[in-house]
Amino acid sequence: MIRLEHVSKVFGSGPARVAALTDISFNVAKGEFVVLSGASGAGKTTLLRMLYRAEMPSEGDIEVAGFDVAALRNSEVPRLRRSIGIVFQDSKLLAGRTVFENVAFVLRVLGVSRREITPRTFSALKAVGLSARAQAYPHQLSQGEAQRASLARAIVKSPGLLLADEPTGNLDEEMAVEILGLVKDIWARGTTVLFATHQARLIPQLKRRTLRLEAGRLVKDEG
Amino acid sequence: MLSFIFNEAMRDLRRAGRVGVSAILLIALSLTALGGFWLLSLNLGRAIDQWGDRVRVIVFLKDEPPAARLEELLQKIEGVGGIQRLRYVSKADALRLLKRSLGSQADVAEQLPRNPLPASVEVTPDAAIATPEGTRALVTRLGALPEVEEVQGGSQWVEGLEQFRRLFQGMGLVVGAVLAMAAILTVTTATTLVLHLRRDEMEIMRLVGATESVIRWPRLLQGMAQGLVASIVALATLEVAYALAVPHLEPLLPMTIGLERVLFLSPWQALSLIAAGTLLGAVGGLLARGRAHA
Repeated sequence: MIRLEHVSKVFGSGPARVAALTDISFNVAKGEFVVLSGASGAGKTTLLRMLYRAEMPSEGDIEVAGFDVAALRNSEVPRLRRSIGIVFQDSKLLAGRTVFENVAFVLRVLGVSRREITPRTFSALKAVGLSARAQAYPHQLSQGEAQRASLARAIVKSPGLLLADEPTGNLDEEMAVEILGLVKDIWARGTTVLFATHQARLIPQLKRRTLRLEAGRLVKDEG
Repeated sequence: MLSFIFNEAMRDLRRAGRVGVSAILLIALSLTALGGFWLLSLNLGRAIDQWGDRVRVIVFLKDEPPAARLEELLQKIEGVGGIQRLRYVSKADALRLLKRSLGSQADVAEQLPRNPLPASVEVTPDAAIATPEGTRALVTRLGALPEVEEVQGGSQWVEGLEQFRRLFQGMGLVVGAVLAMAAILTVTTATTLVLHLRRDEMEIMRLVGATESVIRWPRLLQGMAQGLVASIVALATLEVAYALAVPHLEPLLPMTIGLERVLFLSPWQALSLIAAGTLLGAVGGLLARGRAHA
């Protein structure tokens, strides 16, 4: 599902040159759950952003869901992104829309028929236990609920790959465990998951293969 | 998908608020100015065409032709081309006309030792060449005939009116273009403001795999909707101004530029104005730039 070979990413040039990632290589098989760990600034977010082509690698090859990411034309990027669900540390819910509208927005943008939108949206909300809050606005949600809504939005289009960029970073431990449980449920239904976190305490609970980044280098791949 | 794009465009239009209304007013103002110049130019053009029909060229002859050669001379004059009608005015006819125009002072003409007036031919140009350029060419051709002393008349004042119309059209275009630029900039600003407000939405749209056309269409539609509303406002303003001005203007027209009625824009011209407004709005919407991450 994911293949990186000797990938490096450099920002800036000359004295302002910063090597965000250096010579990263790894594979993630279809259906796998992989944890990407590392302290803040280790390069986790940069790596994830390259997977959905928000950043281009400075060197190396990246393949995601069958797409040669670096070689993709700009007009083909939407096709790559349709196969990926993404959740962030902040939920990025749209303030003027209800939970239902936020989740349904994805399907509307992608041109899904009106008839399909409602059942698929409720199905996604049900999967994250948020059906009862469908008509609430983001400001009426707790952080945990907002993150669950964000998860529902990521999975509503049934992606083959879920990229989670510190989705538990802003949550207390109880909520973090709850979100983690939901992500594992999504994985159990067949979605490949790459879960980035700096929260070392969460990793043993996951009991999954872990890639550890330190200062932009892959220092550990175990589990 | 179409309903999504349309709904997003209408939502953006509502969000644009006062800036959106300013954009509509500015487009309406530029189209009203443009339409106003168009309307006046249209009616001036009709007056010019009408006056073109009345253009006469007077060909003064060196000598009065003998009756036997008159027909031959008239045929020769007609042979220069571009002539609709000819009327021969003999020396005696010319004197009679002079006396008639002098009225009670016709005695003055009686005192003349001999008739000093030349014989002439009054030429009505063909409608097809009754333009300033066509008439000028006809005058030159007639002046080249050996029997001709002088050619007078033509379309000097029609030419002046035509020049005034051109100046008027030019002014209309310049004023319209300046206002159109301002309108485009305002629509661009309004749309950019909306894009700024909806940058989060655009970011989400890009992240989930929306194509650029789905992201851009709502802003194009937003601009077009502003332009459409503005052009309808402009047409309504022109209609009202026309309805108010015509009763005061029409009595003056026959005495001045010779028109009986002032016409309004035809349905096709009104549609062109609406299309121009919609296009202005679309250009403004397309030029808008919004920043979104991803």
